[in-house]
Amino acid sequence: MDIYIEPPIDKAPTWVISDDSSFAQNVADKLQQLGLNHLKFVSLKNSNAAAVRPPIVWLISAANLVDIRVAEQLASDSATGLLITEAQAKTETWQPFANKVVNDVLLWPEPLGLVRMRIELLRRLYEVDSQVDAMRRSLAWHKARVEREHQLVEHIFQNALSRNYLDYEFVRTYLTPVSKFNGDLCLISPGPLGNIYMLMADFTGHGLAPATGALPLSQAFFAMADRGVSVAEMVTEFNYRMNRLLPNDMFCAAILLELSANGERVTYWNGGMPPALLFNDAGEILKRLNPSHMALGVVDDEEFDSRVTTFRAPKDSSIALFTDGVTELLGHQHQFLGSEALEVLLSKHPKADEFPKIVEALEGFRGETPLHDDLSLAILQCHPTGLGAVQPEADIYGLPFEMKVELTPEHLKTVDPVSHILAALSQLPFLRRHRTTIYLFLAEAFNNALEHGLLGLDSSLKQDVEGFAQYYQLRHERLAELNQGQITIRIAFATEQRQLQVSVADSGHGFAATTNKHDLTKSYGRGLDLLRQMTSDLRWDQTNREVSFNYRL
Amino acid sequence: MPLHRQFANDGKELIIAIKGKFDFGLVQEFRQAYGDVGDQQPTVFIDLRETEYLDSSALGMLLNMRKSLGKTVKAIHIINCRPEVRSILDISRFDKLFVIE
Repeated sequence: MDIYIEPPIDKAPTWVISDDSSFAQNVADKLQQLGLNHLKFVSLKNSNAAAVRPPIVWLISAANLVDIRVAEQLASDSATGLLITEAQAKTETWQPFANKVVNDVLLWPEPLGLVRMRIELLRRLYEVDSQVDAMRRSLAWHKARVEREHQLVEHIFQNALSRNYLDYEFVRTYLTPVSKFNGDLCLISPGPLGNIYMLMADFTGHGLAPATGALPLSQAFFAMADRGVSVAEMVTEFNYRMNRLLPNDMFCAAILLELSANGERVTYWNGGMPPALLFNDAGEILKRLNPSHMALGVVDDEEFDSRVTTFRAPKDSSIALFTDGVTELLGHQHQFLGSEALEVLLSKHPKADEFPKIVEALEGFRGETPLHDDLSLAILQCHPTGLGAVQPEADIYGLPFEMKVELTPEHLKTVDPVSHILAALSQLPFLRRHRTTIYLFLAEAFNNALEHGLLGLDSSLKQDVEGFAQYYQLRHERLAELNQGQITIRIAFATEQRQLQVSVADSGHGFAATTNKHDLTKSYGRGLDLLRQMTSDLRWDQTNREVSFNYRL
Repeated sequence: MPLHRQFANDGKELIIAIKGKFDFGLVQEFRQAYGDVGDQQPTVFIDLRETEYLDSSALGMLLNMRKSLGKTVKAIHIINCRPEVRSILDISRFDKLFVIE
């Protein structure tokens, strides 16, 4: 990283240049008596004098001999004074030099003490000049550096927020930061179930510092929205991050909202934000989504309250989310907009296509008054999102395989075979999309073999609530005591038919599977029914104690 | 945590979310989750947004819950099902017994 190094103040000598005149020689001799050790004497006769480009120069000359070009040349990059004789010093002689060509003019003879003062003064003038110069260079350097860094940070923000779904069909936004960086954050992301998440957040202050908090917050938001995490869990994670990240005097007010795919169910958590407003397209305010929690980053995990509020949004309703920058917008007559005025504005222009009128009204209210806080307003229509559930990419090529898993009591006691098999299968082409279903039928077949074949449990125990728990308690106990028997699972995948062939055999002698039609509300005996409905060619081979079936993907 | 339970709207809603695998491994925890529904006759929401796997024991547990709660709750909704989970519930005709959203 490059750094700016302050140039040292020049400790250069003060040059005293005398011309050919005897006057100049005479004055130079007098000045030598001053004993100032920064004075260096040089004669114009001396050929070196022309090469000297000294920062501080006194030129001594008889008035009628002053060469204006020499003086100008010296003065172009020096603090230059001129000493000339009083005897010949008519105003018209020295005036052309004063303040234009040189910084100072002295008329000789002058008391030596005063000459000394003027020599020192010229030196100080030079020093101050060079300090100002150095500062100007330093400022220019820092300005360029800050601009460069802002560009970099802007780039990072753009990337971090590049997947912000502000183009979502049923949302309108008006986001106006005070400075280049926004301390407000308005994030929108679809969830995997066709649902949509929206976060409106307001960090303390505005500018770059608060905007920095937006990076980790937005990363967490998008990652969790992709996973389809619940609002309560999302805000818990946000608070954890903000609490660890932000300094004590900084926090982040936020409202997080989730709208279900059908556009009806709204779940929200509001920590310290102004109440978002639910209104219908007749302009009635139906609900205020009041803050019932502390802002993010204030309390630690144990104290944090993630409880959400839910409601059903009526047809043709919308929710306006906004930061206090909107209600505290300063008008051109020095009055605040206020929340009532905002409600009136929404009531007046409740339809989605009237959003530009709201923006126009806000801008009209503000006039030329500069913003004093970031301003964010977003209106989400509670409309079926039309996004649909995320479909994983379809595979084109499959991988044929066969696997056989033989499980002894040792394995059965220590591992959950179905989960492990699924973990492996769901890595394979085609199968990942079907993992929930594959899990289900493998679990049914395996549990049937284990519980009835090896452990001899009777499903009818599960017919009441207590028996249900007892059944699984019994399963646990008997499994712990199991010391013989085996379950063999075979799975083969034929790519051409896109078919999984599954068989599960046990070495026990428990009940054979019964698959009678039964009461819908019974909490047991459902497993084989499910198998029958989801798979094909379901067979029970009594001799080999093997259930087998096929599943077409 | 595979099971998360939270009251919302001042106790008028109980949300139970199940993550990952929903089966008999959660039998006790699940019973406790709806063990105390308060006296406000809440609506229960079973949130399956992060449920990846379930089997017939989970279906049994849901039915037991329905039996136990009876009229102490307003309704039981099963919400945010992934498409595969949804089809398992449909095959089991759970739409006749629960509100599935």
